[in-house]
Amino acid sequence: MKNPYEVLGVSMNATDEEIKTAYKNLAKKYHPDNYTDSPLADLAEEKMKEINEAYDTIKDQRRNGTSGGYAGGASGGYANGAGYGANTTRSSYPDVRQYIMSGRLDDALELLNGVPEGTRNAEWYFLMGMVYSRKGWSDQAYNYFQRAYQMDPGNAEFANAFNAVNNRRTYSNPGYNTGDNMGCSACDICTGMMCANCLCNCCGGGCR
Amino acid sequence: MFGYIRIDRANLLGKEYDAYRGVYCSLCRQLGRDYSIFARFILSYDCTFYALLALDLCEETPCYKMGRCRFNPFKKCPYANSQSKAFSLAAALSVILAYYKLRDNLLDSPWYKRWVYRLLQPFFARWRRKAAKNYPQIDEIVRTMLERQIKAERDPACVLDQAADPTATMLAEMCGLLADEISLRKPLEKERTRRILRSMGYFMGRWIYLVDAADDYRGDKKHHGFNPFLLSGMPEEKALAPYLQATLNHALSEALLSYGLLEKGRFDRIILNVLQSSCVSIQKNIISQLNPDEEQDGEVNEKSL
Repeated sequence: MKNPYEVLGVSMNATDEEIKTAYKNLAKKYHPDNYTDSPLADLAEEKMKEINEAYDTIKDQRRNGTSGGYAGGASGGYANGAGYGANTTRSSYPDVRQYIMSGRLDDALELLNGVPEGTRNAEWYFLMGMVYSRKGWSDQAYNYFQRAYQMDPGNAEFANAFNAVNNRRTYSNPGYNTGDNMGCSACDICTGMMCANCLCNCCGGGCR
Repeated sequence: MFGYIRIDRANLLGKEYDAYRGVYCSLCRQLGRDYSIFARFILSYDCTFYALLALDLCEETPCYKMGRCRFNPFKKCPYANSQSKAFSLAAALSVILAYYKLRDNLLDSPWYKRWVYRLLQPFFARWRRKAAKNYPQIDEIVRTMLERQIKAERDPACVLDQAADPTATMLAEMCGLLADEISLRKPLEKERTRRILRSMGYFMGRWIYLVDAADDYRGDKKHHGFNPFLLSGMPEEKALAPYLQATLNHALSEALLSYGLLEKGRFDRIILNVLQSSCVSIQKNIISQLNPDEEQDGEVNEKSL
């Protein structure tokens, strides 16, 4: 088993608070919801499991005052969200889900294309989005996910997928420093002006 | 490839920039060693990034040594000393891509340019033959994907994803190849790394293709050339900017999410600089060129403030 401190990217002397922050950041980054429609979903899940285990091990070690041993089981960790494939039993297309999970995208697409147009429900659009997303055809995937969400906005699985795609299209990926944080916004300018004005007031000047 | 995968120098530390320059100069030297001194002219940022990625995965740490630049004897360049195949792979990819690009240019260029390309072709062909002998898989992938590209562009039912697929797959294969050719650093596992690299390469290839298409949008519209953003169902020019932004962001996000699954290597900060900073500003510049009127409005507003 890997060194749990290395997994979380912290030193052995880190405080509990630092460890918690590191864990939270990593959990945000590798949360399965970010990767549901990705061809690397299984790798992200493995990574998440590793992080949960590392966090639990450190917590147990510190609570018991031990230095080694693996306690196992992610007790308080982030659960695997609405993981893909969880709905296989109540799905209208269990075969398609199986194909997608095993990476047989062409077979999944063939089955989906065989569904008559009049009977295509929100799940059909969601699964089409899933197939295209795993193929890397993001534009088509976005259209299908959007349609699935519009047809059934109450479904958590469709909403998660649509939300994840929207995050990518705005380049605001949780856990990554990708937001538009360069330069300053109008708000920053206002805040800056207010601060400057306060400072001027202190010296007896400032805007009246 | 097209030179869009660059670094954002302002956001790099001095030592990181030196490391990047070391890779750039070493690839230039490798082109000279493996092919010819004139092959150094085809050095590109994209292939430098490819070499950088290869070195990041590599077990052996590259050592840098200062040496004189062949083109500018007054300049000293850092040269990386590496026994890995990183540079020879990147050099082979450079000459193979350059050859096929030249062949492509021969088909759709004005007559005076075609003359120049015809004169250059035998040299490029010789370099390509040499590269293909060492790395036949690179030549095979690039050739097949360019053929697929031509086919996709001729398809009347072509959609954006289909048009971007050949370039994306080409880069996916190229990056996947690194898992086989490079002796991987610990704790990277071959199969897992290959999958991550293929996915990252696919979306970087997709981003390169789409950003190049966005850059050529006006020219292609004027000369009725093929452009994926001119296909039916695409937004009109005035409403195109938000769509471009979202599509390019999507590709970049996927590349970043794939890369995030790889254990951090020695050039992690440089790779993140490319994906999180440089590519974002490049796409922003290209999109803003499509909407010059809006930018002017912005300037007026700023002045009036």
